[in-house]
Amino acid sequence: MVIIGENIHVIAQAISTAIREGDAKVIQDLAKAQTEAGAGYIDLNVGPMKKDTEETMQWLVNAVQEATDLPLSIDTLNPVAMEAGLKACLKRPLLNSASGKTDSKEQMLPLAQKYNCDVVISVMTDRGMPPDVDSKIESIMDTVAYANELGIPNEDIWVDPIILPISTAGEGQRFAVVSLEFIKILEDVLPGIKSTVGLSNVSNSVPNELRPPLSRTYLVMLERNRLYSAIADPLDKELMSLTRGEMPEIVGLIYKTMDGEDIDLSSLSQKEIEYVKTAKVLMGETLYSDAWLES
Amino acid sequence: MEYKAPVEAYTGVVREVTIGKGKKSLKIGGENIFPFHFFDQGSNPNPTKFALEVLDMEPQDWPGHLVEPFQDVISGPVKWAKKCQDFAVDAVSLFLMSTDPAVKDAPADKAAALAKAVAEAINVPLIVYGSGDEKKDVEVLSKVAEVCDGMNLLIGPVIKENYEAVGKAMLDHGHTAIALTPLDINLLKELNVKLSKFFPVEKIVIDPESTALGYGMEYSFSLMERVKQIGIITKDNMTMMPIIANLGGECWKTKQAKENKEQGLLWEGITALSLLLAGANIIVLRHPETLKLIKETIETR
Repeated sequence: MVIIGENIHVIAQAISTAIREGDAKVIQDLAKAQTEAGAGYIDLNVGPMKKDTEETMQWLVNAVQEATDLPLSIDTLNPVAMEAGLKACLKRPLLNSASGKTDSKEQMLPLAQKYNCDVVISVMTDRGMPPDVDSKIESIMDTVAYANELGIPNEDIWVDPIILPISTAGEGQRFAVVSLEFIKILEDVLPGIKSTVGLSNVSNSVPNELRPPLSRTYLVMLERNRLYSAIADPLDKELMSLTRGEMPEIVGLIYKTMDGEDIDLSSLSQKEIEYVKTAKVLMGETLYSDAWLES
Repeated sequence: MEYKAPVEAYTGVVREVTIGKGKKSLKIGGENIFPFHFFDQGSNPNPTKFALEVLDMEPQDWPGHLVEPFQDVISGPVKWAKKCQDFAVDAVSLFLMSTDPAVKDAPADKAAALAKAVAEAINVPLIVYGSGDEKKDVEVLSKVAEVCDGMNLLIGPVIKENYEAVGKAMLDHGHTAIALTPLDINLLKELNVKLSKFFPVEKIVIDPESTALGYGMEYSFSLMERVKQIGIITKDNMTMMPIIANLGGECWKTKQAKENKEQGLLWEGITALSLLLAGANIIVLRHPETLKLIKETIETR
């Protein structure tokens, strides 16, 4: 599992201040910490970046590359910032992200071809977010075919099904199940293709202290379905342990829950029970509430 | 080949909840089939019950055709409640709207005394709704619970912001709780989980919030339907409670219901029938003729 470290993110106040003031240290420290924690890429989520786009992007990429040898994931919807970022990368970067929307196909995908980099392509199209597995597959096949014609091979494409919050009233659990199924069949439909997810979105708007169990469990479930990578928090030690195969009992329990096996909770530790309950919620088997660990 | 209709049987049972005491008691819920699925295996021992609404103050914005059936008693809640019994109600629902700080900010002890007087004057169980003001309701509903000690009234709304205080008062004085969440099944479950940590689960009734025809009724419908499905099919302990549909006020707030009587009765009637089909176990109405209309519709099914 390739973890794309998500922590350099403009939504974090410290990061946006550091970028604005040209303070490299804060950003370099985070890049180092994520590298040491086992990330495979460092994501640079810079937002729309309206002012001094090219200079800022170049500065940021150089600053991070001084602190880490890892390849970078340039995360912006602004094509100017994207190109400036890709241009400055020393290692083959990841363009994060393109989609099936017309402007993205016209402005982002050619950049992936021009700079010969890997590219995240989401299932989004001009019609919005495809609601179920079939329509997601249909959308992504169209966009991937378009990318192939530009000369981008399947092997360079990381498909993103777009993870939505589990707490979305009434619908969140269905979304979670749809993404699981989508990832499961993706490679059969598009041989050689890679995949990625914005993992922490699954627990968006869930109380902070309750977010990690959802992300951790969901990652194990997605990985079982052959997910290639995830944009996630490498500083979450338990998450990294799970991906490194250091917690086989927990992984086994999650698999059993996915298979609908009867699990005797009374023989399990508190932590194991929490993983089982979380997997059940993510499978849509029990109704979600913020109190899912308590009932 | 002979056709054989499939018959479903489910393992979940909606909890049977008793409100009121002794002769003045009423059972709601208890079904293990979906509403009107008489063709499936299972039963509904307590078909949907109906209550009429009584306000604790003279209504300000009711059209003439809504006031008319209660013209002579509208300024006296006790008499008004007694008159409801002329229309074969299963329960009366007293709405303590005058306690709302934005209305009259009437004191809690006065509201509680009135609740007791109404409960004693009628021979059916009493439902009491506070104004919905989360802070004032703590005071008002706790006082109602205390003054009406042991009467097992159905009291609400118990909400996420005040369930600890209100729930405790109801527990101490032996009442049944209406747990209300605004149209969200995940929040609904969360409140039930939290409330049932100290409050008996068999004394909780769900109010998922009812909305009127044309004003979002589909949301209430889908939600009630889902609560039932999750309870009856997947046996989720935290959704196997009976549902109250408090819809009279919502319907009569609409321009259409205020415009003329026939339209108003149909507005309330269609909303009530829809939510009945979605699985409501007890329905609170405003107009007695709507009640008559619905009962006739059910009986001639």
